[in-house]
Amino acid sequence: MPLVEVIDVSKEYANGEETIRPLDGVSLSIEEGDYVSLMGASGSGKSTLLNLIAGIDQATAGEIIVAGTDITKLSRGKLADWRAAHIGYIFQTHNLIPVLTAYENVELPLLLLPMSSGERRKRVEIAMEAVDLTSRATHYPRQMSGGQEQRVGIARAIVANPTVVVADEPTGSLDDETTEQILQLLSRVNEELNMTLLMVTHDADAGARARRRIRLERGRLMENGKELQTAKLHTA
Amino acid sequence: MFGQKLLPWDYGVRNLFRRPSRSALTLVGLTIVVLLVLVVVGFIRGLEKSLAATGNPNVVLVYALSSGADIENSSIPGRTPALLSASVDGVRRQHGVEYVSPELYLGTRITTANMTEPGMGLVRGVTTSAPLVRGKVQLTEGTWPQSGEVMVGRLAHSKLGASQDDLAVGQQVAFDGQTWTISGLFTAAGSAFESEIWAPLAELQTTLKRQDLSLVAVSMDSPDGVADIDLFCRERIDLELKAVSESTYYAAMQKHYKPVRMLGWVVVALVAGSGIFAGLNTMYGAVVGRVRELATLQAIGFRRRAILLTLVQEATLLACAGAIMACVVGIFVVDGAAIRFTMGAFMLTVDSVGIAVACGVAALLGIVGALPPALKAMRLPVVEAIKSI
Ligand SMILES: Nc1ncnc2c1ncn2[C@@H]1O[C@H](COP(=O)(O)OP(=O)(O)OP(=O)(O)O)[C@@H](O)[C@H]1O
Ligand SMILES: [Mg+2]
Repeated sequence: MPLVEVIDVSKEYANGEETIRPLDGVSLSIEEGDYVSLMGASGSGKSTLLNLIAGIDQATAGEIIVAGTDITKLSRGKLADWRAAHIGYIFQTHNLIPVLTAYENVELPLLLLPMSSGERRKRVEIAMEAVDLTSRATHYPRQMSGGQEQRVGIARAIVANPTVVVADEPTGSLDDETTEQILQLLSRVNEELNMTLLMVTHDADAGARARRRIRLERGRLMENGKELQTAKLHTA
Repeated sequence: MFGQKLLPWDYGVRNLFRRPSRSALTLVGLTIVVLLVLVVVGFIRGLEKSLAATGNPNVVLVYALSSGADIENSSIPGRTPALLSASVDGVRRQHGVEYVSPELYLGTRITTANMTEPGMGLVRGVTTSAPLVRGKVQLTEGTWPQSGEVMVGRLAHSKLGASQDDLAVGQQVAFDGQTWTISGLFTAAGSAFESEIWAPLAELQTTLKRQDLSLVAVSMDSPDGVADIDLFCRERIDLELKAVSESTYYAAMQKHYKPVRMLGWVVVALVAGSGIFAGLNTMYGAVVGRVRELATLQAIGFRRRAILLTLVQEATLLACAGAIMACVVGIFVVDGAAIRFTMGAFMLTVDSVGIAVACGVAALLGIVGALPPALKAMRLPVVEAIKSI
């Protein structure tokens, strides 16, 4: 059974008279350990799909099953708890908490999980080491470069060992050199830490790093030129 | 479970230092609001204390039937004390001395050595039995007044609008065409006597060319004695007397000042209300600039309740700091500050009630000020909020 199953999901926005439907019955399966890139024109609905899988947005129709849980059925509070345990979110603009140090930012998701402070410290240290920022632990976001901030953002996303790591244009606001660093880091997260990764990107080179490349076109998901069918048909 | 999922305490604290000048200004505003509340409550409490402390249920005041509740207008025959002690049983008596205090009470213009304009003061002519009946009166300095002398209550200077030094022992005051030397200072447990000037009765009568009295205060063996004196007053219609216990008299006064006290509480409510608006405004500012950050916290998995709590924590911390500062200022500056009032002077009292009200208002400012902006920020869907700048 796939780790993530998106089944016939639609998302509509009522915009006055007309309805915008960025996702029109899309289906997608992601296996454990996959590295999937999601590309497509601006406004095609990439962020919308990613946010649905990350459990911060609600689908109009369809099911999203992550590690056996249909998250479209969860209440808002339960969904928050679920996110804490299962999702690591890497933002384009890193979204670090300015009043917390790099260390404290990384520690934040762990505060939501039942865990001793010793265990917490160990995990934060491992994550900080993975992004090679141990020396910056006591720095505040404003004392770091954009690339360093994004590395802290990645450490924060992986520290709780989530089921899925999602990244929405993680290199969107970085220069080429830093982009390269971050992409290498993401590949390592997938290969060495064996984490499942879904990355939205505009950058074809970045998308090419992923093992699976999916495109979103006019509300439909395409892989290798073919439209993805519902998971049920797929397995049948 | 609840404790596990809160945001770190430090997060709320550090957010206060994010815009130090804004926090400082808010702190000053909150301090002023709480201080105002403390002053008004201190006023109400002081007024209540000065009225409540004065009544003794064993003491009966006998004054003129025609004078209403105002003893200043009362005039009764000079022989009333003698008639009372001869006719009524149950008057307190010790070592052959009867606890009967004839008194002449009036408001008059009083000048001190350093005053250009005379101030309105309260003068009471008394005999040596006055302290027996008016038990709370205590000399704190100097001696009981002899001929040509007066003793002054510790708030008399406030009532006059004079400085404390003007009414020190050895200074002189002038009223009704005579100069008097201050022989002593007295306190009276916060009661209304403290704003009066006491002179020897006989000499005051001579100065004023009066033979009558304003009232007679009689200490009875028990509160039941009031009925006996009351009966005496009814029987001797010719004397036109009225008897009322001291505690009843001041209870009536309390009632008289009830509108003032009510007004005080209304002012407390208004001040607190305006403080809440100031607090709201600041918290709106603090939250609006942080919409994306709060959405990030939600995306990470913090529940909205935890985020609301940290915002309330921030505001409440600031309000509590304001309350502490206000209480310190209140205790050292406001408490004991004398207030002039028509019936005398009294002191602003910062007591546990005042501090409790002040802290309550501060907590209210924090919670009520933080919740609406916080709730507003939480209403925005996470996906939208996370895109905001
Ligand atoms: N809250 C909303 N209300 C109405 N329409 C919305 C809302 N959010 C998104 N949309 C619309 O949904 C469509 C998909 O948006 P989405 O953000 O998923 O695009 P995207 O593929 O991530 O684009 P980009 O590459 O520019 O980030 C867009 O046409 C957008 O206008
Ligand atoms: Mg997008």
